Order: sequence, then structure tokens, then C-alpha cells
Amino acid sequence: MEISRIQLLNRLKSVAFVTLTLGFVGLTNFSKAQGEALFKSKCATCHQTHKNSTGPKLFQVRDKWAAGKAKEGSIIKWVNNWQNAVAADPYAAEVSKWSPTAMSAFPDLKPEEIISIFDWVDAQPDPAMATTTGGPAEPNSPLTPEEEEGSVGWIWIVMGVIFIVVILAVGGVRRQLKIATSDNPEHQEKLTYGEELRTIAWKYRLWVGLGSLVTVIAVIVVLFQGLYRINVMEDYQPSQPIAFPHDRHAGVNGIDCKYCHNSVTKSKSAGIPTVNVCMNCHKQINGVDKPFEGEIQKIYAAAGWDVSSGAGKYTGKTKPIVWNKVHVLPDHVYFNHSQHVVVGGVDCKQCHGDMKVMNEAVKVQPVSELNKIEGNVQLTKPTLTMGWCIECHGKKDVKIGDGKNAYYDEIHRRLKKDPALYKKYYQDGKVTVSELGGWECAKCHY
Amino acid sequence: MTRKYWKGLEELKETPEFIKHKEQEFPNQQTVEEFLSDEKLAETSTARRDFLKFLGFSVAAATLAACEAPVTKVVPYVNKPENVTPGMPTWYTSTYYDGNSYASILVKTREARPIFIKGNKDFGFTKGGVNPQIVASVLGLYDSERLSQPTAGGANAAWSSIDKAISSAVKSAKSVTLLTNTVISPSMKRAIAEMSVSLNGETGSKFQHIQYDAVSYAGMREANMSNFGARMIPSYDFSKAKTIVSVDADFLNSWLLSTEYTGQYALTRNPDAEWMSKHIQFETVLSVTGSNADYRGMIKPSEQAAVLAYLIKGLGGNAGVASDLNPSAKLAADQAIKALKKSKKESLVVSGSNNIGVQQLTNKLNNMLQTYGTTIDLSNPVNLFQSEDAKVAKLVKDVVAGKGPDVLLMMDVNPVYTLPNGDDFAKGLKKIKTSVAISAYADETAALCSYVCPGFHALESWSDFEAKAGEYALSQPTIRPLGEGTASALESLLVWNGKATRGGKDSSVAYDYIKATFAGKFPTADFAMAIHNSVMPQAIVPSTLVYADAKIGSLPKSAEWEVSLYQKAGIGTGANANNPWLQELPDPITKVTWDNYITMNPVDMKAKGFVTTYDQEHGLNLTTVKVNGKSVTLPVYPLPGQALKTIGIALGYGRGANGEKIGKAAFQTKEYGGYELNAAGNRMPIGANVYAMVASGATFEYAGAATIGSAEGVYPIAATQIHHTVMGRYSIVRETTLDIYQNKDRSAFNPPHTLQKLDEHGNHVEAPMSEFDLWDAHPVEKIGHRWGISIDLSSCIGCGTCLIACQSENNVPVVGKDEVRRGREMHWLRVDRYFASDEEAAVGTRKDKDTFSFDKAEYAAENPKVVHMPLMCHHCNHAPCETVCPVAATTHSNEGLNQMAYNRCIGTRYCANNCPYKVRRFNWFNYPSYKKMTEVNPAQDDLGRMVLNPDVTVRTRGVMEKCSLCVQRIQSTKLSAKKEAREIVDGEFATACSDSCPTNAITVGDWNDMKSLIRSKSENDLAYQALEEVGVKPNVWYQVKVRNEENDLLSKLQVEKHEGNKHH
Repeated sequence: MEISRIQLLNRLKSVAFVTLTLGFVGLTNFSKAQGEALFKSKCATCHQTHKNSTGPKLFQVRDKWAAGKAKEGSIIKWVNNWQNAVAADPYAAEVSKWSPTAMSAFPDLKPEEIISIFDWVDAQPDPAMATTTGGPAEPNSPLTPEEEEGSVGWIWIVMGVIFIVVILAVGGVRRQLKIATSDNPEHQEKLTYGEELRTIAWKYRLWVGLGSLVTVIAVIVVLFQGLYRINVMEDYQPSQPIAFPHDRHAGVNGIDCKYCHNSVTKSKSAGIPTVNVCMNCHKQINGVDKPFEGEIQKIYAAAGWDVSSGAGKYTGKTKPIVWNKVHVLPDHVYFNHSQHVVVGGVDCKQCHGDMKVMNEAVKVQPVSELNKIEGNVQLTKPTLTMGWCIECHGKKDVKIGDGKNAYYDEIHRRLKKDPALYKKYYQDGKVTVSELGGWECAKCHY
Repeated sequence: MTRKYWKGLEELKETPEFIKHKEQEFPNQQTVEEFLSDEKLAETSTARRDFLKFLGFSVAAATLAACEAPVTKVVPYVNKPENVTPGMPTWYTSTYYDGNSYASILVKTREARPIFIKGNKDFGFTKGGVNPQIVASVLGLYDSERLSQPTAGGANAAWSSIDKAISSAVKSAKSVTLLTNTVISPSMKRAIAEMSVSLNGETGSKFQHIQYDAVSYAGMREANMSNFGARMIPSYDFSKAKTIVSVDADFLNSWLLSTEYTGQYALTRNPDAEWMSKHIQFETVLSVTGSNADYRGMIKPSEQAAVLAYLIKGLGGNAGVASDLNPSAKLAADQAIKALKKSKKESLVVSGSNNIGVQQLTNKLNNMLQTYGTTIDLSNPVNLFQSEDAKVAKLVKDVVAGKGPDVLLMMDVNPVYTLPNGDDFAKGLKKIKTSVAISAYADETAALCSYVCPGFHALESWSDFEAKAGEYALSQPTIRPLGEGTASALESLLVWNGKATRGGKDSSVAYDYIKATFAGKFPTADFAMAIHNSVMPQAIVPSTLVYADAKIGSLPKSAEWEVSLYQKAGIGTGANANNPWLQELPDPITKVTWDNYITMNPVDMKAKGFVTTYDQEHGLNLTTVKVNGKSVTLPVYPLPGQALKTIGIALGYGRGANGEKIGKAAFQTKEYGGYELNAAGNRMPIGANVYAMVASGATFEYAGAATIGSAEGVYPIAATQIHHTVMGRYSIVRETTLDIYQNKDRSAFNPPHTLQKLDEHGNHVEAPMSEFDLWDAHPVEKIGHRWGISIDLSSCIGCGTCLIACQSENNVPVVGKDEVRRGREMHWLRVDRYFASDEEAAVGTRKDKDTFSFDKAEYAAENPKVVHMPLMCHHCNHAPCETVCPVAATTHSNEGLNQMAYNRCIGTRYCANNCPYKVRRFNWFNYPSYKKMTEVNPAQDDLGRMVLNPDVTVRTRGVMEKCSLCVQRIQSTKLSAKKEAREIVDGEFATACSDSCPTNAITVGDWNDMKSLIRSKSENDLAYQALEEVGVKPNVWYQVKVRNEENDLLSKLQVEKHEGNKHH
């Protein structure tokens, strides 16, 4: 219950973020929007706006070239293919001595596109100077335990109790008043509170009876629904030691899920990225502004990467990151990622939602959210329950006999030996996972 | 129709207890009246109201606990090793050598911890052959009583101070002796040679190296010295032997390189091959090898020479030794002569004796047959077992007399336990100035040493081997050392000799040294490739040795009663006595677990007044046996096939008699957990140590004269033999002879089961079982996969390796002696051992049924034939268990598997009750946490738990379990085929049992694959299904056991049946 509260807060936060971003985008011109997109897709791997990384910082780089007496348009030529620029311009030759690496060539970029990139870069405020306001939305800070243990549930109970007390008090006062104003002295002695209630109940016995029946049925239904929710993990969103923004990695930077979760195609577990995978990029990318920098520092602490001395070096003092597991399968069930991703061709989105837009800490996406994603098999049972698994196995088809997988071709050949069964399988025009045994106990339980 | 098969004397005689128990799948059930009338009930501490309180509280607690899922942490690597993929196994090639067995192995690791060992079928001369001890050795890695720190004077000490003390002691000492087991490591040999050079110089005699094995083969080496002039043991090739004569050599279980011989032997036992070997065994105790023999003669240990002399005489030679034989041995010996005359140089005679004279006679016989050069290879000698008995005897004498060396370094030996006079040696050991033990445990010897330097477990260390000339092999670490302060033994020797400095936990000293040895041996070879294959072929120099007759040494003397000391399949020499898997492994012959006993023929037992039947309530008589002035008191076990007037006792028991810390599972436990303690407050060992009975003459001899006391009371025995009987359905085992198989058709030796039905004319006709169906068939034929097992009873030798492999693969719990006694062992796979008498099976169909009794089978019971039959879940397509489950926890898959969903099971046990094969096991307790199993079940130990297979659920209390046909392996085989978009290759899928079987007796595969081996095996003439007449349509087939024997009785019983040959 506490978690869903936090959900609500997070959702509010993201609504605020979207509103802010929309406002920001509305103010900037199209060229800059294009420049931003191009910068992020082509340049951001090596360049930052205000800080040297693999490549030098790009803020006001055109002014720098002009000050260095570079030839007009030489910088455009540099971006397209730096070797051409070096041949034509002594300043470019000077620039080419930058270490550690030489720049890639981008012959596809048109001059106006390159200019739009520089325009966008120059329009960026220096995060070191800028205050926190006006910058891009804050990355979600890790949820603290205090937040998780919020006393929201208790407030409702306390309020409910107060409410009942108030009702009873008012009722009591009313009764006292009635007795006091009554002329009949017998009433005064005979009728206690309970007796009065009983009298009223008897008087309206039909309604009271019906009401009680409805209440009892309602309670039973709610109870059973509650019981069915036990251990249902939908919406489960634990806090994480590092505020990792999936939208930035998978969305903005377009990194494939399998780059970090690289055992997903080989093993039963998709794998939490190991720190050395993070360091492939984060050796260079150390954050464009303060809050990100803090999070990235946590990776450095884990990897034992010391940046205090210039280029940085590994100290050998590593400290593994302890994450909180989000998708926890129920006990006694075997699930294999590679089976689903490689063989079944199931997209990560089917079960985990669209990570490209997920700005908050990862959570178990409720099935209603998953159903909104295009291309997903539409399911009804709660996420990560057995009902959910077998529902999908009953709907999803397996392409057998299409000549693409010799294993399934053989299964298809064998199936054809029994025409009756073959017909039965293909009645709905497809062979589902369940027809090939996907509903059998020992497929997942052993 | 066929022979009478019986599992024990109880069954043969149908004792009242047997009848009572065979009708109860789950014995010892109390009725409510019995329970309430229990007087102790009033004394129990839980009152009714308390009980209700507990009940209410637990319900509330369980409800609350179910509501909130705990937060699970997940910790990825900081730097992922390249070859580790979380969730996927990584296999390493390696080599196993413990001083007693040797094999090329494959080690399966998950997330860098070894969890399974199997034989390497592709590389190494053992060709995948392993034994139960090798497969179980992975558990030894996780023993929490293994030393993790070096100790000085019993207290933990730092390596630096210990190294300093030992180095200076070695330098300043007048005499230094290094006592090791047989060293087959070229690098270790090099290190020892370097030590010798630096301490002895050119001519000095300060340092000496003595090799000493727990079980010695010096007799063989000395005999070869006298006949060939070289102290060597040649290579034997059983696969070329058309006649195998073994005189007390248990070559399928413990003798010499048994891991190599089992595979070779199995090759010759194929009735469809060009020829099938004839195996004649002469022995005292019914051994694994003897149980597989075509003919078996029972002899006293002192008669071994006579048997060999009789054979020499029969082949026209003269041994110069008396050759009188008892009737049983004579019968077998005449068969042997007949066979040997026919096969001549394609024969092999081996002897298990350590007496020089007996081995000389064996050599003489082999020379007469001209087997040297065909089945015996002199140019490829075995380097194992180089025990130097004379040197050892002298050292022991010196130490006992207080004249031992100044420094005694001991490595991988436990002389206090394994010496005949270990007690005296222990006293002498304390007088030695500096005694050092390189040992994994503070065992009997190490506990008395001034310094104990814990070495690595074999799975943690680099090592190299040369088990035979030309067979170089390597072992590599599969896990980072678990102990903080352990070090490679090789490194320790180098450090003490001043040739290296300590490298700490991740030291590369041993690795570098081994690599250097390799480079010296193979200057041009690639070390990485050698590690990849674990072996390196090497050129062999042809031998020039020639046989010459020699004077026969002194032969064993006969006595009224003689004892034979032997090794059991599980416990071996005792080095693995702390391994609970091996302790609970039912002995292949006696099916006894967790105990040591005296074996005696029931005929003798009756004469001496011992009880010959037992069950869970009735134990066996204890008696005291005296040999060489040493006596032990053990229960007497009735073993049909034991030579008359002899007894057998297994070595390897009675470890940790003074409470040494040798492992949690090596001791007796109480009924409700905790250890039995002796008067001194030490843990009680299991069984008794009989190394004290070993005779030490010119060589150590494992037999001698014995005196046997009378019955002294009753001792409970935990045997699996009397459990899970087959309700009189004797059709479960089928057997024939090679002659019948070759000359008659299937209806004689493997008739199909038929039932009567009415044909269209209203006549009774016989129809095969396949025509009868009680239910609709499952759609498993033709479509998709249909997994099945075929077990060749001719190849199965009953060694029990499959059982341990299954236990290791499927997280089968260890339950302890008391639970086994109650018939609650949990093994998914059992190996049934049937004794066979040549008698008709069904008493009811006999003409003389009123007067007939199986007492006439008494002679046969003296020396019965044996059939081993592995039995696991048969995955019946018409499974009786499935129909009775009220919650559908056990269901059928369309791949023919009988599935078991643990989280659905509510524990009614109806399924087990309804199973005709009795292969279902019920979790009576929460084995991973119940106090009764704390000492025995590795899953209750933080370290021991690491051996569990993460792909298989650890079952909890109250659920049924059984063989799943290694469904996790089926799934992963299918998945890799699907991922690689290819068909499943036949042979790709292997269960743990088929994977580890040293004789390839178990075949598994997809029956719907028409070209598969399982398909052809299931359709050949020898294939039958156990209890086919029940109509459950199992997915397991057996191949009729074929013996290469002459058997008139069986020949009369097995007649061809054709049309018109009326059924009666």
C-alpha cells in the first residue's frame, strides 16, 4: 500500500516534468530541436557541452576555431571528415593532436545540420554556473526508507475511528435530547440505546436483512479478492541504491537492452549489468550536471575508479552494488529469459513495459499498462502470476514448419503424421505455445 | 517359466515379518488407539490449550507472512569473469586421483562453484569410467570440518612462522623422512627429487621418500620383480579377453584401475557382438565383480593358490603346489579350463591377492596362456600403487621403537588409521621431534603431529598425473580455494626446500612449477591445449621384459575360519568416510547403508546360531571376531555366496575413533539428531576399523585366520534390501543364456505378455498387451518428443554410480541411518539386487504345489546368481499414480513424462500407494532444516548447501517426489537446439544416471526419433518392459540379462512357443 502511494507521488512528478518539458520545447525553435536530437545521437558518446571528455567540450567551439584563425567552413569539413580538414587547414591539424582518440567521420551530416548542433550546444547554460532551476528535470532521487515506511495507511484508520466516534456522539446527543424533550416518563427509563436499535431494526427488518446480506456478500468478495492479491507483485517498486534513469539509456541514447542485460540471450537470467559494463561508457561520461554526477560517482566507487588524478585509474578497491530485485518470481518456478527472447522472439516490452520512457525506479508494470504498449499480447491476469504466464502461452503462437528453425520443422513433420491432431491444432489458424506443451507442469516446475 | 528371483532370505522364506511389510508401502503406521493409549503421551510437555494457542498463532503468523514479500537483494559482479554467464553452467576438464582411484573427469560449475562430476568420455584412457566415490567427491569440497588454517601444536598459526620452523628443522635434522601415498604427479616427483638433492647431496642418506598406500599392491610388484626383473604392474586390457578368470580381484569395483576396467569389461558383455566374454570368478566375499560373473566359485582366501594350480594343471602345466578344490570351486574351475583352452592367448587371469606367491602363480598361468602382449601390456605399466611394504614396515618399527627420523613429513597418508599397528605408531609419532602432516583434515594422524598444513581440495588445485606410462594428465582448479589459510601441497614442499616463496591464496607457485615440468616433458606442446583436454598423449617405449619362472614365495596358510578384508563401493579405503552420500549409498550387494558388518554365509550362520533374517524392527546378532590378536564386535550379515567357513569385513570404517574432526557425517547419530557419544565424550565412529587385522609379512595381506565368537545381542541394520518389494510379480527380471539367445527365437527367452480375449467367432485367443487399453492413450506416440530409458541388464554391473550421480544432480536429501531403517530413504533411483535360484517362479502353477517348498533352493541360496536392476520412475503413459492424485499434482506431459508439481502436492501419498514400481518418495520431514538430519544432510550446512543444483527445487516436508527423468536437462537440451535452430542430435540428451554410467548400460533419448538408439534398443529382441502385464505402458525398457553360461535347467524352462503350442 505504501508503495502505491509513492507511485502516485512519482506519477505527479512525471506529470510536472512533462508539462515543464513541453513548455521548454515550445519556446525553442525547430532548428535547435533538431540540433539536440543530432547531438544526442551522433556526438554525445564522446562530446559534452561544457566539459572535455573523450572529445573536447563543444560549447562555443566555433568561436574557439575563429579565435584560432581557422579558415571559414573548415569546422564543417572537420565534422564531415576531419582528415580533409587537416589537409586544408593548419588549425585543424593542430586540433587533430587531441588525445586519446581521433574523431569518427560523419559524411552524412549536412552543413545546416552541423550548424544546428552547434547552435543548440551554444544555447546550453553551463551547469556548473547554472542554478538547479531551469535545468532538465532532476533524476529521481533514490527513495529513502522513511518514505517507504510512510504512515499514510494509519491516517485513514485514525480518521475512520474519529468519524465513527463523531457519529456515535452526535447520535447519543440526539437521543438524549429526544428523551429530555419527551413527555412520556416511561420512555425515559425503558429504552436503552440497544433496545432502541433493535426496535428500529425490527421495524425496517426487510431493509436491514437485505442490507446485511449485501454487506456479508461484499465482505466475502472483498476478502477473496484480497486473498487473490496475496503475493501479487504488480506495481512493486523497491528503492534502488543508484537512481538509474532507464529513459536516458534506452530512450535518449538508444542503447539496446541487451547491451547491458547481456546474458538475456544466453541464460535463464537476463542479468543485472555488471559494473564493468557501466564503465565501458561511464569512464568518459561523468555527468553533465550535479545530480547525475553524484549518481555516477556511486558507479566509480563500486568500480574503484579514481578520477581525482586526471585521466582516472582503477584502484582495485571494488565494492559491489547491492540492488533491490524488482521482478521476483514466485518460488518453485523456472523461467528462462533466453527461451523467450531468442526462441520466442518476445520483446522485453511484453513483460517489462517500455523502458525507453521510464524515468522512475523500475517497477513491476501492471498488466493494464503493458496492454497499452503496441504489439503486446493483450492479457488480463496480474503481472508475474502463473495465470499471466499461461494466458500468454495460450495466446501466443509458435511458428512451426516455416523452414526457419530446423527444430520446429522437425516437430511440424512429426505432427503431420497425425492428421486429426494436426487439424485440431490449426483450428484457430495457429499453433500456440500451450499446444506444444506450454501449459504442462514440468515446463516450469522442477 | 523362469527362475525364482528373491531380494533377501526373508523373501525366499516368506517370514511373517516379510509378509506383513510387503503389504505396507509405508511401514510403522500407528492407529489412533495406539497413539492415544501411549502412556508417555501424558508426559508430553504440550498441553491442549497450549497446542491451540500455538495453532492460532501459527495460522495468524502464516497469514501475515504471506502478505508481504521480502525485499530480495541482487548483487552483480563488479568485473564479470569472461567465461561465467550467471545461470549457465561452465564445464572444466580435470583429473581425479585420491591414491586409490583415478579417472579423467568433467566438472560442472555454476557461478564458479562445482556441483557435479562425471567421467570424461572424450579424453583420457579411463574413457568416462568413474565410480561412486569420484562422483561424490564434489561434496567433499564443501565439508565444513575441512581445515582452513595451518596449525602448530593444535593452535592456529601463520604460514610464515610454520614455514620457518619446518625449513630450519629440515635443514638441521639428522634424518628426514617423507611418507606419502603413491605419487603419480611428475611435478611432485620433481619437487621431491630436488628436496633429496638439496638434503642428501650426491651420496647422503639424510632424506628418504617412502610411498605408502592404504591398500597395498606390493605383492604384485614383487612377483613381477621375480618373474620379469622389474617392480612394475602391467596394463590390462579386459576388452580383448574372451575368457576372464579372476581370483579374488574385484576389478569392477576396487581392484587397481577399476575405472578403466569397467568400461572395457562392458564392451565384452554385448550378446550381439561377434563374441561375448566368459567371466569366471573365484572369491570369498560376494563382490560386485563376482555378482556379474558367468560362473562363480566360492573359495577361502587360502585356496587361491590351489585354484591357480588347478588351472595350471588343467592346461597341462605343473605349479608345484597342491591343487585340491572344494566342489563349488571345482565346478567353476572346470568351466574355466574349458574356456581358457578355447580362447588361449585371448584370455586374462588376474588375482587380487597381495601375496607374492599367489601373484607368481598368476603370472605363470598368464605366461602359459601367452596373454602377455595381447591382453596384458608390459610396455605401458601402471604407476599407481607403488606402496613399498618393506620400507614402510621398517619405518613403522623404528617409529614405534622411538628411533624414528628427526623430521617426519607426511602427505596424503593416514598411517595411524591404516597401519595394522596404528595405535603403536601413534605413540611413537608423539616422540618424533618434528612431525608434519599435509592433510585436509585434522585426522587420526594429523591430530598428533606438531604441524598440520592443510592442502587444497583436488577441485581447488593444479596438479599433473602420470597414472600409466604415456598417459600424462592435468587437473585444474574449478573454484577459488574455500579455506583462507590452505595452500598447495606442492608449494609447501617447494617452500620448505627453499625453492619458492608463499604466494597466498591465489598463489601461482604450483601452476608455474607444473607448467615448467610440462615444458620440460613436451618442449613443443601447447600447455593451454593440454589443459583443455586434460590429457596429453605421449610416446611409449616398447617393453623388452621377458617372463622367467621363479621360485614361488610362501603361500597363505589355511585355517578353520578365515577372514577376507575388502573394499566397499562407497567407502573404499575410508578416506571418504565423511561423505554422507557414500555412507547412505546402499552397498551394491548387501544393500546395507551407514554400517560395517561381518558377512557370513547363512548356512554357517544357522550352524552358529545367528539369526539370518532381519527387518526394521529385528536387527542382526553382534559377535566378536578375533584376527591377529585384534578383535572387533560387529553385526553378522547373512550373505548368500560367501564362501563357507569364511567371513568378510569391509575396510574403511571406524574413522575418527578418538573424536578427530574428520567431517560431520562420519559419526553415529541419535534417533532425534545429535551424536552418539562414547564414555570419553567423543563422537562414536561408524563401524569398526579392521586395518588392525591386516597381516604384515613380506607384504601386507588382507586375509588370515579368524576366530568367531557367539551371538552377543542384537544390532539394528539399515538396509534397503527388504523395502519396495514387488508383490510377487516375478516377471520384473528376465534372464537367459547366450546359447538360448543365439539359437532360439524371442518367444523362448523374451516372450511377450498376452491376455485372453474373444475373437469374432467367440473363441478365446491370446492377444498381446498392446491391444488392451483401460484409458485413452496419451498423444505421445509420433508427435513431438517421447523421452525414454533403456537399461541393458547385461552391461549393468550394479556399482551404484548412477545413484550417486542422481543424488548430486537432483538435490536428493540424505536421511540418516534411522530413517533408512524405516524405509524412508529418498534415492530417486535404486539398484535392485536380485538373487536367482534355478527354480520355477510361480508356486501356484506347479504340479507339486502342495508339497513344494523353496527350502530346496537352499543350495542355490549358498551361491546364487545375481541380477542388478536399476529402477527409477517408469514414466508410464497409463500412470496409475496420476489417476489417484486428488489435486492433479502429478500429471502426464505430451512428451511422455510423468510430471510432479511439488507446489501442488498436498501429500496424500495415494500415488506412492498406487505405483507398481514403488519409486515414489515422500518427504516425511523438512530435510533441509529438521534437527534429526543436521549431522547428515549437507543441505543443512552453510558450506554443504553450495553443492545443490540451482536448477532443481529443494523439496520441503509433506510433498511427494520421484525421478523426473532429469527434466531440467531435457529442457536445456531442447532449448539449445531451439536457440541454434537445429534438430536435437541423438545422444545429446543424457540424464545424470546415463551420463555417469561407466558401462553405458543406460541409454536415454527421444523414442519418437526413429533413428535414435533408444528406439532401436526398445525394439530389439531382448527388450522387455518390467511388469508389462499390468498395462501401465511405461517409457522404460530393459534388455534381458544374457549370461554366457551353460544352464540346462534354464534351457528346459525357456522353450520356443509357436502357433498351436497351447497355453497351459
